[in-house]
Amino acid sequence: MFMKSSRKPLGLVAVAASLALMATACAESDRGDGGGEEQPFVFAAAGDIASLDPFLASDGETFRYSRQVFETLLEHESGGSEIVGGLAETWDQSEDGTRWTFNLHDNVKFHDGDDLNADAVCANFDRWFNLTGAYQSSNNSYYWQKIFGGFAENDEDHAPPEPRFVSCDAEDELTVTIEVSEYSSLYPGGFSLAAFGIMSPTSLEAMEGQEITGEEGNPTLPEYTQVPGTVAGTGPFTVEEWNQDQGEITMERFEDYWGDPAGFETMILRAIPDENARRQALEAGDIHGYDLVAPADVAPLQEAGFEVPTRDVFNLLYLAYQQDHEALADLEVREALSHAVNRQRIVDTILPEGGEVASQFHPDTLDGWSPDVREIEYDPELAAEMLAEAGHEDLEIEFCYPTEVTRPYMPAPKDIFDVITEDLQEAGVTVEAKSYEWAEYINQTDSGNCPLYLLGWTGDYNDAYNFIGTWFSTPNSAWGLDDEELFDKMEEVSTNPDQEERTAGYQELNEMVMDVLPGLPISSSPPSIAFSGDINPPNVSPLTQENFAEASWK
Amino acid sequence: MPTTPSPNPAEPGTTGTEEKVPFHQRKAAKVDRLAELMGDRGDDGHGAGIWREAFQRMRRSPMAITGAVIVALFVLIALFSPLIAPYSPTSQAWGNEVFPNRNEFVGPRGENWMGLDHLGRDMFSRMVIGARQTLLVGVVATLVGFLFGAVLGGTAGACSVLGGRWGRQVDNVVMRIIDMMLAMPTLLLAVTVAALVGPSLTTVMIAVGIAQIPIFARLLRGAMISQGNREYVLAAQALGVRKRKIALTHILPNSMGPVIVQSTLTLATAIIDAAALSYLGLGNPDASFPEWGTMLSEAQRFLSSAPSLAVYPALGIIITALGFTLLGEALREALDPKLRK
Repeated sequence: MFMKSSRKPLGLVAVAASLALMATACAESDRGDGGGEEQPFVFAAAGDIASLDPFLASDGETFRYSRQVFETLLEHESGGSEIVGGLAETWDQSEDGTRWTFNLHDNVKFHDGDDLNADAVCANFDRWFNLTGAYQSSNNSYYWQKIFGGFAENDEDHAPPEPRFVSCDAEDELTVTIEVSEYSSLYPGGFSLAAFGIMSPTSLEAMEGQEITGEEGNPTLPEYTQVPGTVAGTGPFTVEEWNQDQGEITMERFEDYWGDPAGFETMILRAIPDENARRQALEAGDIHGYDLVAPADVAPLQEAGFEVPTRDVFNLLYLAYQQDHEALADLEVREALSHAVNRQRIVDTILPEGGEVASQFHPDTLDGWSPDVREIEYDPELAAEMLAEAGHEDLEIEFCYPTEVTRPYMPAPKDIFDVITEDLQEAGVTVEAKSYEWAEYINQTDSGNCPLYLLGWTGDYNDAYNFIGTWFSTPNSAWGLDDEELFDKMEEVSTNPDQEERTAGYQELNEMVMDVLPGLPISSSPPSIAFSGDINPPNVSPLTQENFAEASWK
Repeated sequence: MPTTPSPNPAEPGTTGTEEKVPFHQRKAAKVDRLAELMGDRGDDGHGAGIWREAFQRMRRSPMAITGAVIVALFVLIALFSPLIAPYSPTSQAWGNEVFPNRNEFVGPRGENWMGLDHLGRDMFSRMVIGARQTLLVGVVATLVGFLFGAVLGGTAGACSVLGGRWGRQVDNVVMRIIDMMLAMPTLLLAVTVAALVGPSLTTVMIAVGIAQIPIFARLLRGAMISQGNREYVLAAQALGVRKRKIALTHILPNSMGPVIVQSTLTLATAIIDAAALSYLGLGNPDASFPEWGTMLSEAQRFLSSAPSLAVYPALGIIITALGFTLLGEALREALDPKLRK
């Protein structure tokens, strides 16, 4: 997932907000000594959530909240990336991989008192499949379109892909069968995505008829996604209040939860965009944990008695070459630029300990990683020579980077940008710097306006397609890449039901991608998360999918 | 000699009463006071020697000398920075020696007099080249404020003096707009402009310049009105000289004195404002080219492990702004007949 942050208008707002937060961070904490049961647990994230209904979201901050409130059919094991049962106790796939049967847990209650049963699950899938109008925009149903394709009636304006979802049937009280049109390696991982959190039938009825209004690209989401009260899941926490001015969402423990009850009575997620302000808030005792710890803060925080667990590596940072740019369409230029970048230095001096130079668009912790991809050495002289050969010795190029943001795969975007810029200039390239605030940055890079840009990805689930398939399965403006051979191979491999053949296929694909060189994979690095000393932290997840119900006061 | 003059509390507009009036009125009063100064000359028999006399007085003022030395040093460093800087300010030649991810930095040493920054660039070279950027921004911003302010204020002043009833109406409208701008804190105005135009070095110059317009406009207009009542203007009118000519060749040149003094003071605020805008990320997006405000904002992240990265640019900004302020204030005092013996 990109972890798109909420749609904030201008850098100005962010600046004002961070100044205000810095001011409050300096204030004396009014918290008493020792954590009491009744005291709320406050966790700071880098951004506010976008919608109370995770189906409409594609960003990590929204999913962090929704994972506490809603549950999905399948989940990842606590602290790992293996798929385990969620609401489904067991599950099964048909031979051809198109029919998925889920046996649901018994005695599961929604927050509003409804019972979880097969009909409730199908009501959710049927609602998603039958959505119309602006819901079909890829901005508002990103993950549905990625996993299940289009809708019952595809709207021409938004042109979603052909539907892959066929039907959802309630076999009996607790057995659900979901049919898809063809096998794909998107399943079963897709059933674990937080976007497909199951909601109660009562809340689904209340949502009916609520439409997304406003312009494309700047939609006004319906009321149920903005005001708590309608949405109800089965998770360990219920959502009580969302204060959008403060960027603060309050959740309460759900007493009738079917599993182990949450360790905290009240949990608050608070948005603090500035990295330093987050650390200061933790040090001052205003918050009890925060995500995206700067690499340099890890050791000092640990020395000061904070818990700073490090997640396993499951992400990738890359430098993209947008091939609509005339020079970048030339493979030799892309190779030259790749030789110019000193990736080892970025890993050694900027990324957290445990980071590694990436040899391909795929972290080595995931099946499908190939040991045989071609190596790209750092060699500035060779880079300059190759540029001259390609006739681009005085290449001038725009290079974009995001401001006021840190991502799990990219702790200090500006520093990484500066290092790469210097490397490119050493090779004789003239770089024109362009910076955008995060939400705008995603728009600009997505629509192909940046020839060179930095971006990355944290895996959603344990499958190679979630990495290379996300980028290189269809022609798109973010890469300006149009390689039929690669796309066909991707399609062929991802629809092969045989696990072993598929893994071998992904290895070949990784080798192919590195030969095409649509961008330069830079690194995979482990992001850290911090908690105050009086907390038993939850298991940290390589997928950044922590379950905060596991945490408690010491 | 009035080297450290005490303000006269009975006189509105001088420092003694400033605390009691609202901020923008205080600012306006100060500007008006400066505008009056030139109008008063001649009455006490000093005539054209005012600049020479002011220079004499400043030579004996330690405040003025300190200011002048700082400003001179700063300008020299800025002008000759490419010759002074030992290395390229953007070269990350020592990039493998600093580890911001582990809080390992390199302090001052023989090779690098002020140490290395977080990307392994020579801090001393960056400071020296940064001085040039700072001076450039300050001067251009002041020029923008000066030019637009002079046009607006000059029009208003000329209309008020020579334009009759219609002219006074024009003056009224222009000045009310200027008053509105003056009521807005300069930094807020500059941030608004910069946020609207988008971040770049040009933006900073324009934004800071725009924020200075009302001060220059009000100053020039005040000075022109005070000139307008003088006999030579009456004489020129009686001789039938055209109004435009009176305004441009008679009144305007005689009113420029206070505006020039203000320019020195404005340079100081412009440098601080420009640094503030860069600090807030509204400056040059390519921060590899050094600018003190941007350097300060980048160093903030490393404040606990490498405070010197922030201290150098901060000192640079403080000392430079102090130099211009001391010089400007000394000039203002030297020119103020009320403070003369």
